Amino acid sequence: MAVHKGRGFAAIEYPTGMNQNGDPSQAWIKVKPDGRIDVFAGTSDIGNGSKTIQSQIVAETIGVPYDWITYDNSNTDSSPVCTGTFASRATFVAGKAVEKAALKVREKILEIAGKELEIDPGDLEIEDGEVVAKGAPQKKISVPDVAAAATWGHGELITGAGAQLKPYAAIVEPETGRVDLPPHSAISYAACAAEVEVDDETGEVRVTRLVQCYDVGKAINPTLVEGQIEGGAVQGLGLGVLESCYPYYPSVDHRGGEFGSYLAPGMEDLPQIDTIIIENPSVDGPYGAKGIGEMANNSQPPAIAAAVYDAIGVWVTELPITPERVLRGLEAKAEPRREGKKVVFDEELSVNSVSNGSIRFEVPA
Amino acid sequence: MKAVGARLPRYDGVEHVTGRTTFVDDVRVPGTLWVKALRSPVHRADITGLDTSAAESMPGVHAIVSWKDVPLLEYGHLAALGIPADEPLLAKDDVRYKGQPIAVVAAEDEATAQAAVEAIKLDLNEQPALLDVRKAFDSDAPVIHQWGNWYNHFEAEMDRRQIRKGDIDWAFEHADTIVQGVYRPAAIEHVPLETQVCQVVPEANGRLTIYSCTQALYFSMGVVAAHLQLPLNRLKFVGGTVGGGFGGKVDTATETMCSLLALKSGRPVKWRWTREEEFLCSSTRAPWHMEIADAVTKDGWILGRKMLTLHDSGAYARFSPYGLTKHSFHHTGAYTIPNLAFDGYAVFTNRVPTTAMRGFGVTSISFATETHMSRVADVLGLDPYEVRLKNANRIGDTSPNRVVYTDPSTVPTIQAIAEAMGHELPADYRTMTRHTREGELLPEHLVAQVGNPEDH
Repeated sequence: MAVHKGRGFAAIEYPTGMNQNGDPSQAWIKVKPDGRIDVFAGTSDIGNGSKTIQSQIVAETIGVPYDWITYDNSNTDSSPVCTGTFASRATFVAGKAVEKAALKVREKILEIAGKELEIDPGDLEIEDGEVVAKGAPQKKISVPDVAAAATWGHGELITGAGAQLKPYAAIVEPETGRVDLPPHSAISYAACAAEVEVDDETGEVRVTRLVQCYDVGKAINPTLVEGQIEGGAVQGLGLGVLESCYPYYPSVDHRGGEFGSYLAPGMEDLPQIDTIIIENPSVDGPYGAKGIGEMANNSQPPAIAAAVYDAIGVWVTELPITPERVLRGLEAKAEPRREGKKVVFDEELSVNSVSNGSIRFEVPA
Repeated sequence: MKAVGARLPRYDGVEHVTGRTTFVDDVRVPGTLWVKALRSPVHRADITGLDTSAAESMPGVHAIVSWKDVPLLEYGHLAALGIPADEPLLAKDDVRYKGQPIAVVAAEDEATAQAAVEAIKLDLNEQPALLDVRKAFDSDAPVIHQWGNWYNHFEAEMDRRQIRKGDIDWAFEHADTIVQGVYRPAAIEHVPLETQVCQVVPEANGRLTIYSCTQALYFSMGVVAAHLQLPLNRLKFVGGTVGGGFGGKVDTATETMCSLLALKSGRPVKWRWTREEEFLCSSTRAPWHMEIADAVTKDGWILGRKMLTLHDSGAYARFSPYGLTKHSFHHTGAYTIPNLAFDGYAVFTNRVPTTAMRGFGVTSISFATETHMSRVADVLGLDPYEVRLKNANRIGDTSPNRVVYTDPSTVPTIQAIAEAMGHELPADYRTMTRHTREGELLPEHLVAQVGNPEDH
């Protein structure tokens, strides 16, 4: 009876935006008479931090401090369309919409400032809430003064709207899956190594360390990116070794209807998590960003499965990797069937073993 | 000061950690009625009788809504993507999963609403359930859905999602080894801290204000407007601050029924699911059944992949055909495989419909293809990092759908992990880049895979 250590590895990819696109996000922005910025977008914040990310994009794009931004996604009377917070789209797609709206606001601020300073707007830039003449920094006017001039002097509202929509990518050949356009906004990549300890007496798998690397394109807010990656890792841990609605799937028996009978990860389950962020900008995301919200729970289960094999020589390919499955695997010591050049694992799980023959998985030899 | 790239404080962080954020359950409206649902007690049955009269006459009960009260009973949430409607808002002729809503009651308080639910007379003729996706195709399997046991409305009315690329027979003929395996990740719950919850207020001007925990305000507003056959200016969704969703709150599980009850009773109504309802009646992540056979060479090239996926959709289609399509698009993982034959079926079973969850369609494929990749490396006696680097997506490679990759990062992310783990790579793998294939990394079988990123 012993505790065995093992290491496993996995590399993954994940698309940003709805599969096949066609998922618009829109935003509009108005400027108060003192230069403070109101952003209206329909993006629900489900804890992913989209209120923060979109506010940062607006502040950066216009050139004003972050704390000048008020972000309102509270209702459909004032906020325009956002398809929703799913498909890892809130930073890329909805973020692109607010960036476009902010560019229009910036343009309008420069236009009014140009009138006030009697300088061509093309020769002006905005930095930290001030409109400054390029190459002549003594010639400047603050954004609050521009907003006041627009409101009380020029009789104008500084506002801007923006929308992001990648056209629907149709499957033009259903037999082959060929599409007519890229069916995503970007693809993100990640890799993960897992270290585990497996107790061959109790069957318990303890994940002791997860080392993860994500190419996020651009980390708009590194703290929130780390939060997504670490939170996702915990959810991936649940997928890998703990959670199941139907412990004896496909049977519906013993379904847990409370926290006492459904094992979600708790603090005591958490491993050491090391995070590496790299930034290869996406071609057209806001500031080069890609979406990584969802994929953050995808790499851990296969890395853990490989680590368990490394530890005890058993492949568990039904999730979660419970003590029962580990012990049954150790007892069975199953070897793949070798026939010619074929190496066939898990035959007992195949449709070929379970179905009465009307669906088959035929593999040419 | 730069805003992008800065570790700025969360916009709503202080409100959240001090408990001052207003979530839907924190909204208080005087005169609110409480909602409870009559749900199917069995996995599958024909409904032979539904009598709500005794419940309706109970003191404190203000409205009961069943299928007869819904202007448009069946609405396909993804009709825009060509996925037709199959699921009634409230069960009409039959029930197909345990927990399926049949009628909803609005009453003065939760106890009265629950008592009324128990007073509804429901007659069922129980039928055999189908639970194993692998047995859905059997000749003696019960037929549990009006379309048959699997979704059959893909483009050209195909009954499966299919990918074909290259010459699969050539790949298996030229392989040194064929590695086969079966992968079955489980259904899991979304486990949001905030259970499904909704408050609807009928306003004096005839509008409905709908306080919603949806992840998608406009999407859910479209669903309610369709079922109620109302223009969007009659509805105001209030939300945008969600206590955890992970995909489960794209379902619009409560908003439509609460709106119907508010209209029928003329009173504000509120429905807050119990934790038990959240676990047992809300949708789950799908269980998947995946079989993979890879045709590989002894030095670790993957020449071809054959794959069969059975996606357990539960009782109705919901977003499953979409999830399966996304799954099929990514069935080569982070690698370029030239010869492919993928068949995927969205199979119906008598369990709670499965739905979107973090990584929808791809979490399953990542588990299957990556565990398989580790097995391939082990069978061949090769380093699992090197096999992956060799087959990695590179700029200019083409996807299963013939789209050219513009910014793949399989190579740099793997190299970063190898370094962090102290895993020694040979020099040519250490210096590999993500750029276009050439030399030893462009063997004959991959030549046709290299396209021009400018094409897309």
